[in-house]
Amino acid sequence: MSFDVLFNQFMSGIARGALLFLVASGLSLTFGVLRVLNFAHGSIYMLGAFITYSIWKHLLIPVVGFYVATILASLIMAGIGILIEFFLLRRLYARGWPEQLLATYAVIMIITDVVKWGWGGEFLSIPRPKPFTGAVFLFGFPFPSYNFFIILLGLALVVFLWWLVYRTRLGDIIRAAASDREMVSALGIPIPWLFTWIFVLGSLIAGLSGAVSAPFGAIRLGMDIEIIVECFAVVVIGGMGSLPGTLLGSLIVGQVYSFGVMYKPEMALAFIFIVMAIVLIIRPWGIFGRPER
Amino acid sequence: MRKFAISTILVFIFSVISVPLVMAQAKPAPGGKEPITIGAIYDFAGPCYMYSESAINGVRIAMEEINSKGGILGRKLDMIVRDTEAKVDVGARETKDLILREKVNFLMGPCSSGVSLAMLVVHSEYKVMRVVGIANTEAMTVDKFTPYIFQVVPNTYMEATANTRYLMRKIPTAKKFCTIGPDYEFGRREELAFSEEIKRLVPDAEILYQAWPKPGETDFTSFITAIMAKKPDAVHGSLFGGDLVAFAKQAKPYGFFEKYPTIALFDLPVLLALGEDAPDGTFGFGRGCFFMDPNAKMMEFVQKFRKARGAYPDSWSVMAYDTIYLIKAAIEKAKSVETEAVIKAMEGITFDSLRGKFTIRALDHMGTVPCYQGTIAKDPAYPGFKIWKDISRIPGDQVIRPEASVREIWKKAGVVR
Amino acid sequence: MHVKQLEQKGLVMKRAGWLVLFIIAAIGAPFVLSEFYLAILGEALIMSLLALSFNLLFGSMGQLSFGQAAFYGLSGYTVAMLITKVHFNFWLTLLAGILMASILGLVIGYFCVRLRGIYFSILTLAFGQLLFFVIYKWHDFTGGDDGIQGVFPPDLLKSPINYYFFILVVFIFSTFILWRIVHSPFGYTLQSMRENSERTEFLGINIAKYQLMAFVIAAGYAGLAGVLWAPFYRSMAPSSLFWIKSGEPVMAAILGGPSLFFGPILGMFIMTFFHAWVLGFTVFWPVIMGALILVVIFFLPGGILGFIEEKLKKKREKTWQEIANFK
Repeated sequence: MSFDVLFNQFMSGIARGALLFLVASGLSLTFGVLRVLNFAHGSIYMLGAFITYSIWKHLLIPVVGFYVATILASLIMAGIGILIEFFLLRRLYARGWPEQLLATYAVIMIITDVVKWGWGGEFLSIPRPKPFTGAVFLFGFPFPSYNFFIILLGLALVVFLWWLVYRTRLGDIIRAAASDREMVSALGIPIPWLFTWIFVLGSLIAGLSGAVSAPFGAIRLGMDIEIIVECFAVVVIGGMGSLPGTLLGSLIVGQVYSFGVMYKPEMALAFIFIVMAIVLIIRPWGIFGRPER
Repeated sequence: MRKFAISTILVFIFSVISVPLVMAQAKPAPGGKEPITIGAIYDFAGPCYMYSESAINGVRIAMEEINSKGGILGRKLDMIVRDTEAKVDVGARETKDLILREKVNFLMGPCSSGVSLAMLVVHSEYKVMRVVGIANTEAMTVDKFTPYIFQVVPNTYMEATANTRYLMRKIPTAKKFCTIGPDYEFGRREELAFSEEIKRLVPDAEILYQAWPKPGETDFTSFITAIMAKKPDAVHGSLFGGDLVAFAKQAKPYGFFEKYPTIALFDLPVLLALGEDAPDGTFGFGRGCFFMDPNAKMMEFVQKFRKARGAYPDSWSVMAYDTIYLIKAAIEKAKSVETEAVIKAMEGITFDSLRGKFTIRALDHMGTVPCYQGTIAKDPAYPGFKIWKDISRIPGDQVIRPEASVREIWKKAGVVR
Repeated sequence: MHVKQLEQKGLVMKRAGWLVLFIIAAIGAPFVLSEFYLAILGEALIMSLLALSFNLLFGSMGQLSFGQAAFYGLSGYTVAMLITKVHFNFWLTLLAGILMASILGLVIGYFCVRLRGIYFSILTLAFGQLLFFVIYKWHDFTGGDDGIQGVFPPDLLKSPINYYFFILVVFIFSTFILWRIVHSPFGYTLQSMRENSERTEFLGINIAKYQLMAFVIAAGYAGLAGVLWAPFYRSMAPSSLFWIKSGEPVMAAILGGPSLFFGPILGMFIMTFFHAWVLGFTVFWPVIMGALILVVIFFLPGGILGFIEEKLKKKREKTWQEIANFK
């Protein structure tokens, strides 16, 4: 295997990892603070993609149209996040986590049909926006610029989340709430308000990743289930609730898949589940996770 | 223990209440002559959703036409639609529903090959016949054959054999190949048929690498770079639908299609979605949408379809329309709707469809339906999406599996005919 | 005191009466219902076993398994492959199926029972998906996404009515056994683990061992559902092992009420009939089911039976209060 081929597979893995990180970070954030594993995270991602398409198609503004659509769609999904958190999850915090889990499972089913009803079964596509239409050349091999865009966006998100969690007051509260929720409440910080904010942030990120994934591939029914399963693998491997863990998990899953495809394509996804199972057996809370609930 | 008692009686009460609710579903027969009912079982979930919708649209138009002209044997045609949710167990249950409760005369569908095979056992046991227009695994008429199935869509063997020939016609010097197919029954069968045919056409052909993305894959980048690393002369693909859209978009910046001539299922829905992103000069294959076979009958259908639906008909609407008219022809030939009589009438029938004439082979109920290939290009008559040029129509009887070969497989599979 | 004893006796009589009523109704069903509804009823009975298997872990132990479908699917496949490829004796294949499911339960359970809460659930989901994957990909052996067809029961059971009675007999028998298990010292130990696992441990109970035993039993019951299913619809497919399928017994248990033994059965009956009804006129079943789950979670906590139980408890307390006042 020559170097440029290996390097290219590696870069493919990075791009895949970046997209996974974009989606999984919201899931991890929500779990870390709210202790809710939001099954419907993938559905918000999917809805974000479809809404982006509709806005883009409606606006028909060349070049900028897509970016505007992305921003609008992310905001809309944040709004949907508010609805879900306020009307559904908030009333279930007093109940057990099984009810919360099941409620998010119900949301998957509802959003699936909303998409079916709203857009039918067609698969849709948004062409890559300028200036990311072509390819850049690394070591003589072309690498699609849109993949670079996704990697850059992933990096930006890493930086943003790092800043948020470690450099702001909200971040302090987030980290405190992740360790000891009751104490935070005892200190006078309204937990419901915090939860809503975090969930909304998670939904915003999910919607954004959905929007960004639209020009990457195809927009279609079933993309919610596809992505959520890989997201589970990412957060399990990296550590649920840990953002560094999610980053590491995304990179690992991305590379395992990429090189799995090169050597044994039928087994690529199985490798990921095997890694997931091994992590759960040896260290259930993931590489960077903490051994609590 | 009181819980036990309460629970028991409630279980009983609820089941008893639910049952009449379910029973209330049965429709009373309309006054006068009973309609001929077609049970349309399709998969309204995931990637199959849109093909199922297309098929239903095609059926509706055919039904309206036939009923406005007096129906079949003086009876109106009626359709009941059921959803399998792309799940095998639901599909099997809905088949039972249509046969036992709705008492349909014939069945149509589905889209998913796995569901189709599970359904086959059920309706064969109840002796109801079905015509398939979407799911096209060869297993239906070969490995798992029963006399109650008919296929009017080119099966995986026919399709791959035909498109391999087109590929070789276009790139006659190719010797090294890569394949990319969705890793499930359909993809595997197509690529298997490709590898058999290519060895026949090019004895020293080499298949360097076979990419098997999972159906529903979102990111083909790793597969793309893996194929490019092998530097093949041509690429044979059986990707379709959303998978193909994603693949095409992801491969484009690599200059993939310019470097590696490729053939894949670039039919109407994919071309509509891709728009300008569709790669010019790349080869496509399909089963018969309007631009693949613009004969007079087809164009008339296009007009009707556009008026009714405001869109162009894709291959699935076309085949569903053909299916209804085929059943009509068989019923009229048999002068009866009795399953056994219609089956006999179908065997060997020659039918003039939107895709030209074809015959239903008596041996394995496989229609000698045509396979289409073409090269993607822009046609000013159709703004907004690309279509094909250099269209090739390979009649089914040129690529259908020879009867001797079918019998051989039957012997191994234990099918008795 | 005296009055209470009389009431207990009355309850025993009532209970037995209702049970007999149910059994009579179930036996009479084939002569009243048409073939299709009988099939739905059969389906409801089989799936109820799956729901019961889930609830053994959830209702009793508080562990939410999102992987019961894996055992159900594996046993179904065992039966399907033994019947179609080897033409094994039917009754032996049923035993083989349950055995395979139990062995798998032992292997998977060994790893899962060390975990609690959400981690337990995710590991069951991961293992379930892994098994789905193996069956889906190993197409040479299992038929892959095509599945296996032609799984016929012996001639005696081929007719729908006979097979229904077969399902019914197995169902009644196995449900009774499970009921005894849940209401045995073993079962009560499981419940104490759910209530307060630390305390139970301090009492000297080896939690992991008990949980593992429960896990294996649950796997066996899920396997039982699988062995009944495969010959019923004459086929098996990988979708039977997908994690979405594992969600069905979860929903049924929550719907009917996980705190009562018969809750999951009620939930599954409602779901099955409701599903068949709804599919009769629309393809939008997911949104209806999702809405139903939310309604139950919000307005009927504890499920339908749990809700009724609460109401009856309040009424009973009121009655006792009145009696006490009378004295």
